[in-house]
Amino acid sequence: MIKTLSDLYGRQVSQHQIKSNLLNNNALCKRQAIQKNRHRWRCQRCNSLVYQTLPNGQYYCHSCIQLGRLTTTDQLVSLPEPNMFHDLTKKCEWQGKLTSQQEQAAQEVLLSIQSKNSRLLWAVTGAGKTEMLFPGLTWALTNQLRVGIVSPRIDVILELAPRLQSAFPQQSFIALYGDTAASYQYTQLVLATVHQLYRFYHAFDVLIVDEVDVFPLAGNEQLHFALSQAAKDKCAQIFLTATPSPALIQKVQRQQLAVSYLPRRFHGYPLPTITFIKTAKWRQKLQQYQLPKRLVKEIKRLMQIKRPFLLFVPHVKDLSDVKQALEKLHFVDKYATVHATDKNRAIKVQQMRNHELNFLVTTTILERGVTFAGIDVLVLGADDEVFSTAALVQMAGRVGRKKSRPTGQVLFFGAHLVTNIRRANAQIKMMNRRAHPVE
Amino acid sequence: MNKCLLCDQTIAAVADLNMIFSFRSIVMPVICSNCTQSFVSLTNQKTCLDCGRLLKQVDVCSDCHYWRQHGHQFSNKALYEYNPAMKEYMSRYKFIGDYRLRQVFRNELSQVIRASRKVIIPIPVSVDTIKHRGFNQVTGWFKKVNYYDVLMPIKKKKIIAQSEKNRQQRLQTPQPFQIIASAQSVILNQDVLIVDDVYTTGTTIRHAANLIQAAGARSVSGLTLCR
Repeated sequence: MIKTLSDLYGRQVSQHQIKSNLLNNNALCKRQAIQKNRHRWRCQRCNSLVYQTLPNGQYYCHSCIQLGRLTTTDQLVSLPEPNMFHDLTKKCEWQGKLTSQQEQAAQEVLLSIQSKNSRLLWAVTGAGKTEMLFPGLTWALTNQLRVGIVSPRIDVILELAPRLQSAFPQQSFIALYGDTAASYQYTQLVLATVHQLYRFYHAFDVLIVDEVDVFPLAGNEQLHFALSQAAKDKCAQIFLTATPSPALIQKVQRQQLAVSYLPRRFHGYPLPTITFIKTAKWRQKLQQYQLPKRLVKEIKRLMQIKRPFLLFVPHVKDLSDVKQALEKLHFVDKYATVHATDKNRAIKVQQMRNHELNFLVTTTILERGVTFAGIDVLVLGADDEVFSTAALVQMAGRVGRKKSRPTGQVLFFGAHLVTNIRRANAQIKMMNRRAHPVE
Repeated sequence: MNKCLLCDQTIAAVADLNMIFSFRSIVMPVICSNCTQSFVSLTNQKTCLDCGRLLKQVDVCSDCHYWRQHGHQFSNKALYEYNPAMKEYMSRYKFIGDYRLRQVFRNELSQVIRASRKVIIPIPVSVDTIKHRGFNQVTGWFKKVNYYDVLMPIKKKKIIAQSEKNRQQRLQTPQPFQIIASAQSVILNQDVLIVDDVYTTGTTIRHAANLIQAAGARSVSGLTLCR
């Protein structure tokens, strides 16, 4: 229930969620929640077609019903964003230093924010994207702009929050995800998962989208609509990714979107490239709890030299099969299996970081956002269709992220060298060429 | 490809030749097999004779034994156990108000109701609820079912929803319904089946049964989706 008007700045909520004594305010902007356009009803919150009816003849939107049901009799209420922020003297207290390449990209981002243009920041895995935003962020925050930093992944938001806190200690901000919306308050800087943007309307002057190419944002029209509606008409949208989708690349090629490349990692070493190893019938073997011989040999070798590694598999149900196969081999080393709904996920990842585990068998959830020092990556069944080009590039990008061991090996095991694998390797090599041009 | 109404996963199409040559209408599943398995069916299980809950040894559970001692005998049948998956379903269907989720149990419940060949009386919802929710959750599950609105909620100044009370408060709820006088003729000397969504303490459905019995029905029994 919304009790103060400031909670409505740049937001949109249905009239049921607002205290009745606020509703008579003339400044409020009210829109019918479901409107008819060319003989079709459309939800004004998620832009999907509405065709579900209730017995009383009303229509309701089933796409965004988790945020509260909107029917034809409901109204979306908002207040125009006034940019009422005081105390604009905050400084960025981040002490690190950007490399010359990072510095250039950071300046380009700053220019985009100043001129309110959109930009794609195409930085390889492990390039230090967050730090490059700081000059632009500092400028925006001291110039009374409202800034949103959003990502499809909750992990990214949870990881970003403390880093921003330490870089801008005087800046108050709010992190919105899952069901934390109850504690909403009006702040200049907002960190949120993209789903939270359904509750914003023309709010942000600067909108930074981290990991644009990830599920659920990738290819989801409703979320992209929410993104565009949360932004003001004149808004600087900054997209960050290591693996842009074909649609984004096309926009760049048509010069509809400015781009900054950051092909070099902060330690200056090239990205490890993919080695493909053909292992026919790995799927049939796995069903009999057997791993390909080449993979077993590789695992044994890595254990001997005591090197930690990640073993990716395509599906959650493959985890138990791999576990059974490993048990058959009587390995003494410690390992664990991790998947998205695993309750002990955070603990297992922490154990891996502390070197209590020698390796993790995991699905794609650890493909991005996590850094383990000095690991190798093995992928079983890299030809499976769940692995997109972006996912493969990201998995390869787990290797060599620390200055202490900037290289490493990436082995993909699969029955066929499929297009996705070839594209992933081509993308990695392209970025390496950009970073280290042949003189 | 249709998608599961509950978890949005794609459902693999299952139309084999047997189905085609049976020359019956092909009913496609609306929820996936995983979601189907999360509900626990009580059909063909040993259940309490009075309330329909799952029982191992005795015929009547302790709650219903208490009811019987106080002179309330009633027979209710339930189709599913009220487990966490069912709670989640109910909150999405009833409280969030996703009316299309009625399809999940519509065919099954309607079949059982039609097979009973009794006079069907759904438990009504209050006028405020209808205005807010837009539908009656019980009649939403009806497909080709003739039913009669015989019961009417009594208007009170401040109504607390049954789902917001604790067990003691629910048991002490006074009669919440009255009979619509003009509809009394349809239940006279008839076998009546009262249909509700959840049997929790049994207070609501037993209140309704007492009214209908008093109005001259030959027999009254209950059917709920879950117990």
